[in-house]
Amino acid sequence: MWRYRRPRAVGRAIVLTALGAVLAATGACGSDGGSGSSGPVTIRFAWWGNPDRAEVTNKAVDLFEQRNPTIKVETSFAEFNAYFQKLATEIAGGAAPDVLQMDYRYVREYADRNTLADLNTGDSKVDTSGVTQQLLSGGTVGGKLYGIPPTQNTQVFSYDFAQWEKAGAAAPKENWTWADLQASAQKVSDSTQRKVAGVGDFGGIEDWFEVYLRQQGKTLYTPEGKLGYAAADVEKWWQMTDGLRRSGAATPAALTTKMDGSQQNDPVFQKKASSGFGYDSGFTPKTWELMGREFKLAPFPSDTGKIGQYAKPAMMFSIAQRSANKGAGAKLINFLINDPDAGKILGMSRGLPANAKLRDQVGAGLTGPPQVGFQYEQAVGPKLEAAPPPPPKGAGTVKSTFQRVYDDVIFERSSIPAAAQKFMTEAEKAIAAG
Amino acid sequence: MAQQTLDPDVEVRGPAGGRRRRAPYGERAGVALLFLSPWVLGALLLTVGPMLASLYLSFTDYDLFTSPTWIGLANYRDLFADDDRFLAAVWVTTRYVLISTPLKLAAALAVALLLNRASRAQGFYRSAFYAPSLLGASVAVALVWRVMFDADGVVDSALSAVGVHTGGWVSSPRYSLGVLIALSVWQFGAPMVIFLAGLKQVPPELYDAAAVDGAGWWRTLRSVTLPMLSPVIFFNLVLETIHAFQAFTAAFVVSGGRGGPIDSTLFYTLYLYLKGFNEFRMGYASAMAWVLVLVVAAVTGVLFRTARLWVFYAGER
Repeated sequence: MWRYRRPRAVGRAIVLTALGAVLAATGACGSDGGSGSSGPVTIRFAWWGNPDRAEVTNKAVDLFEQRNPTIKVETSFAEFNAYFQKLATEIAGGAAPDVLQMDYRYVREYADRNTLADLNTGDSKVDTSGVTQQLLSGGTVGGKLYGIPPTQNTQVFSYDFAQWEKAGAAAPKENWTWADLQASAQKVSDSTQRKVAGVGDFGGIEDWFEVYLRQQGKTLYTPEGKLGYAAADVEKWWQMTDGLRRSGAATPAALTTKMDGSQQNDPVFQKKASSGFGYDSGFTPKTWELMGREFKLAPFPSDTGKIGQYAKPAMMFSIAQRSANKGAGAKLINFLINDPDAGKILGMSRGLPANAKLRDQVGAGLTGPPQVGFQYEQAVGPKLEAAPPPPPKGAGTVKSTFQRVYDDVIFERSSIPAAAQKFMTEAEKAIAAG
Repeated sequence: MAQQTLDPDVEVRGPAGGRRRRAPYGERAGVALLFLSPWVLGALLLTVGPMLASLYLSFTDYDLFTSPTWIGLANYRDLFADDDRFLAAVWVTTRYVLISTPLKLAAALAVALLLNRASRAQGFYRSAFYAPSLLGASVAVALVWRVMFDADGVVDSALSAVGVHTGGWVSSPRYSLGVLIALSVWQFGAPMVIFLAGLKQVPPELYDAAAVDGAGWWRTLRSVTLPMLSPVIFFNLVLETIHAFQAFTAAFVVSGGRGGPIDSTLFYTLYLYLKGFNEFRMGYASAMAWVLVLVVAAVTGVLFRTARLWVFYAGER
């Protein structure tokens, strides 16, 4: 008889033990959230960027851990789009990274949803005395500071000057115009039998459209958070960029449609385009190596004499509202934006340091691509305007819609006026829903 | 009962055996439930619960972060009346299901017929053809696929070498869906294995009889193999149709998570994902999920209806 019963008893015991273990595990998770300040803590720090930015960031984090032996930092990164998809899921699931990199375009969206901590009070207070008020306002929503820009950047045109010279294309000079760009890009394309386009097609990127708008005294969003332009503006912009594509001066549709902000899908990095628009916040000592040749930088072309560019918070560091270790997170942010050694390691990898005290010191020690970036910032700095207030909810969707609808234009699926109209309809809907 | 008599321990137990006989079901049900509990709990907590929650959310405006607000049928109405991309996604998915499922089943059946012959290397071939299915849902395969069909990829280079210039298939609105269909067809291993098992079940005497009657290969296939195999074909058809409706990973990876170019690979599930996690419209995404559930249920129902006309169960007629 015992031989029959025993296996069952064992089975039950196993099930009960397993259940017990599961309950214990859930219990442990539940009580974990409250503890914090004492003893060693582990915080997570996530950002978007490419591997070269990750290399210097991890170096800076190593130094931080050395100086703060009780804090361990786990880092992770992804390219822009993937980063925000993951972040949304993590925040909604209550598993947000403690310290996260936030974008100017999304800060209102996340702040309004009460997912970010105020960096001016309590545990999460960070010393911002070195950062200009103008930049801080980019992370301020409703009087609270939800993101601190570690750096400032601005829009930039970069070109492969050796190739341009070889093609006999005129280099950008003071007050150059969109027609100048078109002429030069055409020369490069012609000289390579279109194997290398003069310029990466920039028509689908809302960021560069914004500069174009500002050159004409318009803005992407009104202070009330409505669209600051009309279908006619989009139409004019796309007429110009589509003209470049049709004449071969800009990249063909198959290349353009893949642009997603990552280096591997950027025609300039693939050597399929000899110039392109971007932000000057990605320069690391490895940049030329990754691009396979050296570049020079210039401000945007303009037909109005206004360059339309502005000093933008390149990104922000934020702390998740539900982080259990806000103090440690604030310490990390403080280190990254204010420490001279961190500044030296990070260099220009996120743009020009926002901390004015670090700026000159960082600039003095630079060589190679970061130095080129720094000199560009110095040169263009006086012409930059102040950044507009953080865009309204739904702005992220508007940006991706702009690029998606532009595909209709480059694949010649619809006329430019029809595409512009379609974009406006969807954009207004996205803003209204946000 | 048969098992009990085979067990010597039970034979000698006497009183305990008697007790068991009085209440056999009660005790067994307890044991059965105990052993089932991991699956029952899993189904309730991980499937039924979330499904009901999403049904509720589909009637709300929910952005993941703040609590949902009830808006009735507005999500469903917007889907059909006010969303061109939804209709585009439906059209892409419909084409994908209609093209990839028959092709995949045909490939699976053809290879299964080839492999059904006794051969020394059969084990090897079977594994080799099954391997792609094992890798099926993986991101790695989709990435490889994307690189192969990209501009300057293997396929483009090979075609260019013989004078056909197509450019990258992945970034062409005309060919991008074809790339995904090809990927799906290539992963025919799972239905193939089921077909093989089905083929082994066909009684050899039927083939002998057909041979005696002078039936050729084609005639045997049409009059013996296919009818005898029809339950298995039906099973595979239902399964693969449902899978095709749910396709996500390949489209997500190959299009870089955007369903482009020009929404040509905007699968239903991918659009659902973008609405939920890119635009934070979880209520809307939930409504989409429920529309998909209903459509899949309806299609499956129709398939079962038609089954009466063409599925033959041995012993029925």
